Amino acid sequence: MIASLLAQAGDWTSPSIDWAALAPEIVLAIGVNIILLLDLQLAETKKWAIATITGFVLLGSFVAVVVLAVTGDGARSLFDGRYVVDDYALILKALFLLAAYVVVLLSQTELEEGGYYQGEFYVLLVCSVLGMVMMASARDLVSIFVALELLSIPAYMMAAWNKRNRKSNEAGIKYYLLGVFASAVLLYGMSLLFGATGSTKLTDIGAALLDGDLIGLDVVAVVFVVCGFAFKISAVPFHQWAPDTYEGAPTPVTAFFSVATKAAGFVALMSVVFIAFPGADGVYQPLIWVMAALTMTFGNVLALRQTNIVRMLAYSSVSQGGFILMPLAFAGEPGVGPAALNAVIVYLIAYAFMNLGAFAVVIAVTRKTRSGEISSFGGLFSYAPGLAVAMTIFFASLAGIPPLAGWFAKFNAFKAVLDAGTTAAYVLAAIAAVNTVIAAAYYMRVLRVVWMDEAPDGDTSPVKSPAPVVAALAITVLGTIVLGVLPNLIARAGAIDALTGAFAG
Amino acid sequence: MIAVIEPTWYLLLAAMLFGIGAFGLMVRRNPLIMFMCVELMLNAANLTFVAMATRLNDINGQTAVFFVLVVAAAEVVVGLGILVSILRRRPGATADDLAELKG
Amino acid sequence: MLATETGPIAFPILSALIFIPIIGAVIVALLPKSRPEYPKLVALMASVATAAMSIWLMASFETSEAGFQFVSKHTWIEAWGISWHLGVDGISLFLVVLTGILFPLAILAVDPHHDEKPYLAWLLMLQAGVMGSFLSLDLFVFFVFFEIVLVPMYFLIAGWGYEKRVYAATKFFLYTMFGSAFMLVGLIATVAIASRDIGYTTFDLVVIAEQANFAASTGRWLFFAFAIAFAVKVPIFPLHTWLPDAHTQAPTAGSVVLAGVMLKLGTYGLLRFGVYLFPEASYWSRNLWLTLAVIGIIYGAIAATMQTDLKRLVAYSSVAHLGFIVLGIFAFTTQSMSGSTIQMVNHGVSTGALFLFVGWIYERRKTRQISDLRGLQKVAPIFAAAFMLVMLSSVGVPGLNGFVGEFLILTGSFLTARWWTVVAALGVILAAVYLLWAYQRVFHGEPDEDNKKFPELKIKEGLVLLPFLGLIVFMGIYPKPVLDRVQPSIDALIGRVEDHTDYVQPKPTIELVDHSQEPANPEEEGDG
Repeated sequence: MIASLLAQAGDWTSPSIDWAALAPEIVLAIGVNIILLLDLQLAETKKWAIATITGFVLLGSFVAVVVLAVTGDGARSLFDGRYVVDDYALILKALFLLAAYVVVLLSQTELEEGGYYQGEFYVLLVCSVLGMVMMASARDLVSIFVALELLSIPAYMMAAWNKRNRKSNEAGIKYYLLGVFASAVLLYGMSLLFGATGSTKLTDIGAALLDGDLIGLDVVAVVFVVCGFAFKISAVPFHQWAPDTYEGAPTPVTAFFSVATKAAGFVALMSVVFIAFPGADGVYQPLIWVMAALTMTFGNVLALRQTNIVRMLAYSSVSQGGFILMPLAFAGEPGVGPAALNAVIVYLIAYAFMNLGAFAVVIAVTRKTRSGEISSFGGLFSYAPGLAVAMTIFFASLAGIPPLAGWFAKFNAFKAVLDAGTTAAYVLAAIAAVNTVIAAAYYMRVLRVVWMDEAPDGDTSPVKSPAPVVAALAITVLGTIVLGVLPNLIARAGAIDALTGAFAG
Repeated sequence: MIAVIEPTWYLLLAAMLFGIGAFGLMVRRNPLIMFMCVELMLNAANLTFVAMATRLNDINGQTAVFFVLVVAAAEVVVGLGILVSILRRRPGATADDLAELKG
Repeated sequence: MLATETGPIAFPILSALIFIPIIGAVIVALLPKSRPEYPKLVALMASVATAAMSIWLMASFETSEAGFQFVSKHTWIEAWGISWHLGVDGISLFLVVLTGILFPLAILAVDPHHDEKPYLAWLLMLQAGVMGSFLSLDLFVFFVFFEIVLVPMYFLIAGWGYEKRVYAATKFFLYTMFGSAFMLVGLIATVAIASRDIGYTTFDLVVIAEQANFAASTGRWLFFAFAIAFAVKVPIFPLHTWLPDAHTQAPTAGSVVLAGVMLKLGTYGLLRFGVYLFPEASYWSRNLWLTLAVIGIIYGAIAATMQTDLKRLVAYSSVAHLGFIVLGIFAFTTQSMSGSTIQMVNHGVSTGALFLFVGWIYERRKTRQISDLRGLQKVAPIFAAAFMLVMLSSVGVPGLNGFVGEFLILTGSFLTARWWTVVAALGVILAAVYLLWAYQRVFHGEPDEDNKKFPELKIKEGLVLLPFLGLIVFMGIYPKPVLDRVQPSIDALIGRVEDHTDYVQPKPTIELVDHSQEPANPEEEGDG
């Protein structure tokens, strides 16, 4: 037995690696080490430089992604198609890097003023981003799993970053326990999938599942894998960790979780659904349908009663996850696949801008008010009209009011669902429509406080926002408005058919 | 030559281990035991990988296990770290005590 | 049908009508706080420019043309066939003009109590949104504007309204949002289903209306998805409950705009996206709408009679008046539909003016309770006279504009919806009852101490009122210019209904506009 396995190993030859295609990952990997080493050398007073260097590392990786996108001639396939750099991967890599950059901007002052461990924080952040960037290209169960863990393990530590704060500790352990549980479920599903199809490569799995009827093992494997990812994207009923972790973790980290790690979960889910599961659409479609409907409804209803803004944003992020999930429930319908893929990507991009922006405003305001209660935002318009207007833009965008990015994303998601044209699609669209109204209620409630109420303690001294936070706000406001007014920019993401082409051919 | 055990039995064993782990994670309240339950679940997946690799005569399943082992080790290190920092501030805390955040 | 280059001028006047208020709003928002005198000036300049352009638009509108004019079309999102497609026809023309005129008057008439700058910026945004809704011929663009309208109105009510403003604003927002959420689903489904007939994806209203062929049951579902949004906006009984609250709590300018143009988004939507897009479904469901409209008329009138708050009374009278408009639309005769279109404008003028009066009374006396007011006629005769004229127009007294609209609606509806019309006619009588009774209580009698100091109409207020009074009298005596522009489009619309159903319009009993003197109307000939 062992001998036969070893005999297989004997055929192994070193693969020829397209190093250029890996440039973004390599930049990040080298960057992690540079930051780690520099942190040891730098004096305490010069630690601020770490954030700048991290920014440059992310920027360098971003440049590599852009260069690949511009010069790329179609998909670059590495390791026998187990690691693919195509347009789909590049767009998402760019999204992760941009989101991480905004998070670095937001973290800078928070870390300096809180006296946290700056160097280590950025090392972990870049590690996590590296995992995400890998995730976008991973086309094999093992590399998906490794990428997922590479992005999750640093995230556990970042959640518990404020280690003298009991809430932060609690956030960390809750995130950790449920995260590891999810990994185990996912991994078990993967092992069954491997057993059922005989391969860990997504395209092979897709071919095997398409070939012939599904057996019980296939069904169980698919369900386990989808549920495993459901934890990462905090879909109901696997969402319980999200509000607690979001509230307890430092706010910039929460922004990172709610945007980047969630997006990474979606990316993995998309790769699996579109490449490996086209033969199993009868299994995952109803599952995702139910999760999407539950996620948006529960997230919204619970968000309605929150008084803490971060917690409200946490539940809102859960419910937004439901909207992102919605098109995937019809990914297997004939002709809907590309539209669904496009809808999810567009939503992820729009969501990244508006949600990061919302957190940026919260960070800027709570620096002054030192309170996360929604009521403490009263009178914001009177003493910080700029922040109030920015907040209005982000929340209106989250509520889906045109002509902002969130509106276009919602529209796109609805369109993908209704393209399916089945009764299930109409029902889900109706549920989503009702949910947009509920969501509007709590977003508008915050805006009402911002615009109409008086400052709770009568303190109307202006808010001084540090330059990095202002920069983060500028990026996100710009993104939210531009994507809404000129949706052509991201509507073109519909041209990504490389991924869907993988199974169509 | 040792009598060959059918891979099906390994799969059954793995399923049981996974079930025990999942059950334990839900009912036990000592964070350390909960860690152990998670380990049980991860290793159930490993066992399945190996058993399947044997049945399919495919080395990929075996390599997957190496990756999982490494990742799991890293995971436990982080988890224990977080746990230690909690127990320092609140000795003897159970999962039920960690309920400051709710709603 | 689609007249692409009928406009005598190449200037993109329709786009300008939308963008001038937006630019004005941005400038107002960016003006420094240290110069408090500029925001109002800029806002007035922007809105007066818009008004002037809308009047110019009316003047250069081709009278006998049924299709869309001044069309401008630019690709926006190519992949889905979404384009910036604007156009105006007889149905939307006067609503556009009304929108143009009402805003500068509302800005001039009343000053906000605080924070003038954001107030004016929101008002201008609102104007842009309403303009866009009336002008867009692309489902996507229409929905964008239809939603945008909500935000400024929400902030206007919640920020500058009265005691229960936040509650009223939230209620308004959620009701309307609820409706439009269904419209969004219906809209996308319409496009998705239509694209199968057309062969490519497009959001163009005209293309979908002319080329798509919805199965009867599909069309009915889609129609209701749209209609629910418009029914909330109109508001049609029983979805009207947001309106009295929103009207009563809104600042005066907000009420004027809300009654004047925003409610018309609903009735206009029913015409443009209900009847025009789904003729079969709207004809099929006419009895439901007729019944709801008549219930609205009677209910609104009775509720208005029982109000003690003058503003709430006017608000409920709106429910009744809008009922007439819906009745006229779903009676499907040239007269009733033209009457509805005219009545939309009439209601905007007269109810807008009534809200101005209520606002001025509140500013003078700090109360809107009818019981607190007495004998104002003695102390402010000019004020009372002007109020009287506006009120009579709202009642529908012959010679004033309200009569023309209601008369056309009732005579037209009588042909196809006899019993509903008979009941609706009762509503006309009730309108006289509650309005005259309110006038009597407020203006007659001996003024008590508080009311003796009631100031007379100011010159500025008089100037603001002049356009309203002029329109009320002019349209009452000589509605022909309006009818000439409205009727071709209405005829074309009814022709569409006849094409898609077995409905044949009965011969009208009274000809208000003598067709024999006009140039031959192609639509009329086509319908035979």
